[in-house]
Amino acid sequence: MCDRIDRRVFVKAGGLALLSFGVDPIFLTRAAYALQRPDSLSARKKTLVCVFLRGAVDGLNMIVPHGDPDYYKERPRIAVPRPGSPGGAIDLDGYFGLHPRLAGLMPYFRDGSLALVHAVGSPDATRSHFDAQDYMETGTPGVKSTADGWMNRHLRHRAEHRETPFRGVAVGPQLPRALRGNAPTLAIDNLEAFGLRAGQAAVRDRLTSAFEELYAASATGLVASSSEEAFEAIRMLESANPGRYSPANGARYPSGRLGRSLRQIAQLIKADLGVEMAFADMGGWDTHVNQGGSQGTLAGRFLNYATTLTAFATDLGERMADVTVMTMTEFGRTVAENGNAGTDHGHATAMLVLGGATKGGKVFGRWPTLEPEKRFEGRDLEVTTDFRDLFGEVLTKHLGATALDKVFPGYQNERSQWLGVTG
Amino acid sequence: MLAKPVIMGALLSGFWGLPQAPVVRSDSDSTERARAMHVLTRLAYGPGPGDVDRVMRMGVDAYIEQQLHPERIRDDRLDRVLDGFEILKMSTAELETIFRNLRRERAEAAMRADRDSAGYGGQMRMRPGQQPAQRGAGEYATRLRTLMGEFRQVAMARSVLAEQQLYEIVVDFWTNHFNVYIHKGAGPAMMPRYIEETIRPNALGRFEDLLIATARSPAMLYYLDNVESVAPGFAPPGRGRRPAMRQQDGMSDSMRMQARRPRGLNENYARELMELHTLGVDGGYTQDDVIDVARILTGWTLNPRVDLNFIFYSRAHDFGEKTVLGRTFPAGRGIEEGIELLQMLAAHPATRRHISAKLCARFVADEPPSGCIDAGIHAWERSDGNIRDVLAAIIASPEFWAEEYRGNKMKTPLEFLVSAVRAVDGVPGTDPAFALTLRRLGQPLYEYEPPTGYPETQESWVNSGALLERFNLAVAIAAGRMDGVSVDLDNVVPIISDHDALVDAVNHAILGGTASPTTVRVLRDQAAATNSPREARALLVGLAIGSPEFQRQ
Repeated sequence: MCDRIDRRVFVKAGGLALLSFGVDPIFLTRAAYALQRPDSLSARKKTLVCVFLRGAVDGLNMIVPHGDPDYYKERPRIAVPRPGSPGGAIDLDGYFGLHPRLAGLMPYFRDGSLALVHAVGSPDATRSHFDAQDYMETGTPGVKSTADGWMNRHLRHRAEHRETPFRGVAVGPQLPRALRGNAPTLAIDNLEAFGLRAGQAAVRDRLTSAFEELYAASATGLVASSSEEAFEAIRMLESANPGRYSPANGARYPSGRLGRSLRQIAQLIKADLGVEMAFADMGGWDTHVNQGGSQGTLAGRFLNYATTLTAFATDLGERMADVTVMTMTEFGRTVAENGNAGTDHGHATAMLVLGGATKGGKVFGRWPTLEPEKRFEGRDLEVTTDFRDLFGEVLTKHLGATALDKVFPGYQNERSQWLGVTG
Repeated sequence: MLAKPVIMGALLSGFWGLPQAPVVRSDSDSTERARAMHVLTRLAYGPGPGDVDRVMRMGVDAYIEQQLHPERIRDDRLDRVLDGFEILKMSTAELETIFRNLRRERAEAAMRADRDSAGYGGQMRMRPGQQPAQRGAGEYATRLRTLMGEFRQVAMARSVLAEQQLYEIVVDFWTNHFNVYIHKGAGPAMMPRYIEETIRPNALGRFEDLLIATARSPAMLYYLDNVESVAPGFAPPGRGRRPAMRQQDGMSDSMRMQARRPRGLNENYARELMELHTLGVDGGYTQDDVIDVARILTGWTLNPRVDLNFIFYSRAHDFGEKTVLGRTFPAGRGIEEGIELLQMLAAHPATRRHISAKLCARFVADEPPSGCIDAGIHAWERSDGNIRDVLAAIIASPEFWAEEYRGNKMKTPLEFLVSAVRAVDGVPGTDPAFALTLRRLGQPLYEYEPPTGYPETQESWVNSGALLERFNLAVAIAAGRMDGVSVDLDNVVPIISDHDALVDAVNHAILGGTASPTTVRVLRDQAAATNSPREARALLVGLAIGSPEFQRQ
């Protein structure tokens, strides 16, 4: 169906003439999409914010299985103590506990707007950060040839009548793999500096139109579509005039990349620019050495992460009903601590879903236990929830996705496999 | 590229003072011009004023041969600029002293800091893309920041000014291949030596030598945690008894903490050594191989007492038997089994393919065609892994010259920025502001945290925000507003009031005459809409640098 629409629009757009220049047709459909954009947007829409924690988060110290005796046996130096002990985990259900530096998230857990998912991950066995990140972003574990990302495929296959360049936005200097592909998407590093910069507005407008003309005339392929989206985004930002931004409800974003990113995503959402999917990431999770327990390096990351998410939810206030945040990471870490009071690359990990229609307040996922014979390849936490089941459920229930077979090609996304994290 | 007098001669004679010097345009001439343009954008960071003509006079093949032998090229102008850099005169020991003082300065500042604010910035030790030293305004923080800025600027000055252009590109290739993140711990103290003594001397030599040099380099040992990896069950003796493990000022906090604990294996370097540095992720190794490689490399660490030098600490070495890729490493052997392992990995067929393909991705096409990869592999086999020979074979392959791959690669931010400054004959000074503009394009030098190094493909660098940033930098460079670079457009394009002549001059000076008809039309319209010929020149140069044509190589 979608392919037929693409072709029709593409012919209408006069794209055939471009073919003779050897332009990759993938970008023609992308350029053709742009022509469908209407002049105005209706005010509110649902938004999914994906936060990628790059470097493999130690899920076992994030959502602590304090009820599993092997946890303390395998982690003599870095385990988070049992609830009630000094620096202990915050008990969730008598078996799992939250890392104490994630305490800021507890109100959301209690009111049910935060769902925690354990033993989730990719069925692919790779322990390469870079392959595993690619697999999680393309949504096709084990297949390296996938050119586009699952977020982009969702945008492409959900024939949305309101196309705007802001439908898929990443904050940062690079467009992440998850958002690459045919559907128009934007990368914005700094919203306030987005566009041509010049002292006088007249000079700026002159430069903007000169470059726009230059690219409309001479650019091809990805450069053409990216520049077109850039100029359209400039115009939309000008008319939306987000201006100087101050977060609402006394929200205070901590310093750091994730804080900067989510602050800008909140700004874009509130400006009603049609953001449907947003992406942000944060590094520093590859804790091979001295990761610490209740305190230390990893605890510091958790604190920043939780404080940022809390600030974002506070800033958006009641608008969080339309916004779901889902955090992900490429894999987990070894059950046992390594020789340097750190952890090496493992398998399953933990993720969280916040806001929107989340039906949280509990730890989801079948717990495989840490018993040695239950471990993946004898050493790592086993994956009992394929990340595509989690992503698929959230996509369907929050964003109304209907073509999961296109978003996650080659995977049977069975509703019966879904965890029920969202209503 | 050519000896100094020739360059000065071209500039002094006002080569560009006349509208495009008329060269007879025969078919073979335009073919040769296209070849010269191709090598100048692929084997160099783009042409500067007059470079295309100089390469044509010299002969394209002779130019390639010369570039493959940087030791034959004089670089007087660059040498004079580099003379102004204090960082190149400092020893690792001096840097280490500054770093140590910085740690003390920070610790004292932290003690003074309000504990309540810890949640808002105090915990952000490893913020990506952020220079931790910037948090401090103290004496040593400022000093180290200045020096590291200078060191980045050294790389920029070399890239822009070196006549040994290919050599600088290959240095960048290996720096990225054997990526080290400068902001991890004592990274700032180690990075200059890593570049100057590990990467640069080996960049066009044998791959095996380069691999072993990186494996022994303090920067890599520290970045990928091999300094921490010891034989399982090894317990360091108590403090104060073993010299190598005695608490030293030069040790980081983590090294100090570790020295007091029983320790064990760390897989980090072992895995990346095979996945990224040699075999490639599909190179056929297993998790068991990773573990045994880590065991073989136990004891490869730093001596915190002497300049953070490499030492083999046999007490921490695992002397048991290991098996890697089916080969047995018998029990009872020390550092020599590590060397043999590295030799085995360097000579492995998967390594040849992996590195050849990566070189082809840099020099031929993002998706490298098999012909040039095979050419690289054969040269590797013939030359026992001589990088210069492998490169020469790739450059000589039909794919390097094939029409379909010419101008098909997007410049990375570094390539864009350096080529832009070269195009306007800009001269970088010691002011690090120029190097720091790479942050705005997402590719700051030595600041990529994951060990993969920056990606090479266009999908990684082309996006709406990044293009706008390129436009802004293009305009700034043409207007002479790029900090840390002096630009005099009079050396590039004369002030011409005739619009067509101005467009023609800009097209040839900046784009090597490759402007599309539509680009020419837009430039002419913009020239016509500008009253002052001087402003029109700056505007057109800026637009040309920001044009789609200039983004490709």
